[in-house]
Amino acid sequence: MRITWYHRKERLIVQRILHDMNPAVKLAAVTGSVLVLALFFNPWTPLFFFIGTLMIQACFSRISWKRYVFFMLPFVITAAGYLWTTVVFAAETEGPVIWSWAGFDVTAEQWSRALSLAFRVLAFSSVSLLFAFTTDPVKFALSLMQQLKLSPKLAYSMLVGYQFLPLLREEFTHIRQAQRLRGAGTETGLLHRVRNIRRVLLPMLSGAVRKAERTAFAMEARGFTGEPRTVFFEPVPLTRIDAAMGMLFAALLLLSSICGVALA
Amino acid sequence: MLKSWKLKEIILMSVFAAVFGVVYLLFVHIGNIWAGFIGPIAYEWIFGIWFIVSILCAYIIRKPGAALLSETMAAAVEVMLGNAIGPRLILSGIVQGLGAEAVFAATGYKRYQAWVLMLAGAGSAVFSFGYGYLLSGYAALDPSFVALMFILRVLSGALIAGLGGKYLADGLLLSGSLRGYAISHNKKGDAHV
Repeated sequence: MRITWYHRKERLIVQRILHDMNPAVKLAAVTGSVLVLALFFNPWTPLFFFIGTLMIQACFSRISWKRYVFFMLPFVITAAGYLWTTVVFAAETEGPVIWSWAGFDVTAEQWSRALSLAFRVLAFSSVSLLFAFTTDPVKFALSLMQQLKLSPKLAYSMLVGYQFLPLLREEFTHIRQAQRLRGAGTETGLLHRVRNIRRVLLPMLSGAVRKAERTAFAMEARGFTGEPRTVFFEPVPLTRIDAAMGMLFAALLLLSSICGVALA
Repeated sequence: MLKSWKLKEIILMSVFAAVFGVVYLLFVHIGNIWAGFIGPIAYEWIFGIWFIVSILCAYIIRKPGAALLSETMAAAVEVMLGNAIGPRLILSGIVQGLGAEAVFAATGYKRYQAWVLMLAGAGSAVFSFGYGYLLSGYAALDPSFVALMFILRVLSGALIAGLGGKYLADGLLLSGSLRGYAISHNKKGDAHV
């Protein structure tokens, strides 16, 4: 499979790297970065990491940036929320005041804390979107089983649940239509709304129970035992590119930590 | 952990996880918009919604691991659907599931009355708050504000997840579709047929 890559143009190969990367390695890189970033309270480390992640995304993947911005926007709003709550409800209120607004005195310490939490939200979201935009869900589940040794019973049933989603959406529409036809679900008021949630959720869940049973029987009838295995129908390989990308993330993390601490 | 599980129980859990994965993501977006205006406290009073699946599955399947695995799976489904919170959702799913699981384990997986379910919801809330404290840097906030967030989250866990989960499962039980799962055996009085 890797041989065919070299027949294509160089640009194309580079822009597929994140998409072809092993999902388990990507998962480890992304989760590891988030956990390390949580240790820093200076504004620079998450900011540098955020910029670096955007650069990696731009260099090594081909995505729709319009969609990217659309997904990012709610988290920019959240970051703004963190910014002002941290300023208003800060734990530290000592130190020199750098500016005042509407009766609130903001100290340098408070401001840098607030900025760091807000940038942290942005850094977390960018690295998460990197994962979400470049990872195929089925390949992700298979990789969990093959690289991270998740039990096949769990991995395959996870895939079953995932494959049911479009079906469940269809069923949701049917239930709503059927109920509206009978004049149900038109009441207003908070209590009725809560009861309406149950009215839709219950038939959906009982349908799900029946589907789950049928699927389990079908899987067992076809010889699925759920035993751990070493040979797979669809192998998800580990390559040198995965190692290189892992090191790239580690380097970015290290660099932004060092620069962040030095600047703060 | 999975040795004593039947395949149909695992699949049931994962299909429930898929349904609630979608519900969870929906509420993440609602919470996000709120959080922009009133800060991180926006999530607290609806936090119980994110624990429902573990209460529901533990109450229906009644086996060790039901709370932990279902919550983790729901988080995995959220990741598979793609969102900007990303893979660390799986970590928070594990943490939340462990909170509920700890309560069920403390009762020896034998008691499933309303108060146990409420405690389990509260357990998830306590665990997830500890995790959030570290990850979202609540240490930078005023302790009394953090305490208010904590109380809201525990109440939400006990009421929305604990009681809400029981309310849903009891409705399902009445519909008769849960025949063949531990919840209906125990209601009839013959334990574990």
